[in-house]
Amino acid sequence: MQINVEKIEDIYIISLEGNLDSNTSGALEKKLIPAIDQNNTKFILDFSKLRYISSAGLRVLLGAAKKLNQFRGKLILCSVKSDVKEVFEIAGLLPIFPICDDPETAASKILD
Amino acid sequence: MNKQLNLQIHNKIPEIERVCESIAEFCREHSISDKIIFSLHLALDEILTNIITYGYSDQNDHLIDIRYSLHNDYFTLEIEDDSNPYDPANAPTPDVNACLEDRKIGGLGIYLIKNMMDEIKYSTKNGKNKLILTKKF
Repeated sequence: MQINVEKIEDIYIISLEGNLDSNTSGALEKKLIPAIDQNNTKFILDFSKLRYISSAGLRVLLGAAKKLNQFRGKLILCSVKSDVKEVFEIAGLLPIFPICDDPETAASKILD
Repeated sequence: MNKQLNLQIHNKIPEIERVCESIAEFCREHSISDKIIFSLHLALDEILTNIITYGYSDQNDHLIDIRYSLHNDYFTLEIEDDSNPYDPANAPTPDVNACLEDRKIGGLGIYLIKNMMDEIKYSTKNGKNKLILTKKF
């Protein structure tokens, strides 16, 4: 999996490419958690090139969301493929992770 | 039609992607839809991750056998290993309606498999676990 991190003003935009699974979720955790620890509170995860997610990926996202919640932070997903979205749906995570169609919509939602 | 693919991996996390990719390729050659391939990938990945991460009491090398069988309107996926016995039926069901604060971080893997597959059969015999997953097309 490729992870691309961009920071525009105070918004972190993290784009994932490939598979987010037990083999790769640790790499995402290493980017996300330190950024939250440094008091960053706005995160957009661009899933346009994410082909696959397993419970190991959900685990990292849930951990990050829990941590962010303590600081009233926001984590928004965008451009999520239907198969990946279905995993969120089965796991009951759609009410927890807002999903936007594209990064622009996610950015305006996060600044609300 | 009854086509089979037999694979064997070591108990190492990076092996999972290789075996999932081999099965996906086999499925594509037989015109199986991407949606079915996704659910197959998820089920196999989740179960192998559990076996490799939690299943062994030692640090030794172990082999895991995987047999994928393609039938007319369903597939079966058999996973045989010598890890500690586990029965997915005994896995606690996570509360998927809990709010973020009350959410447990783990326990979603088996739940995803149960939702993605049509049938799960587990047995243990002579120190070997055998799991058979079935999904209809």
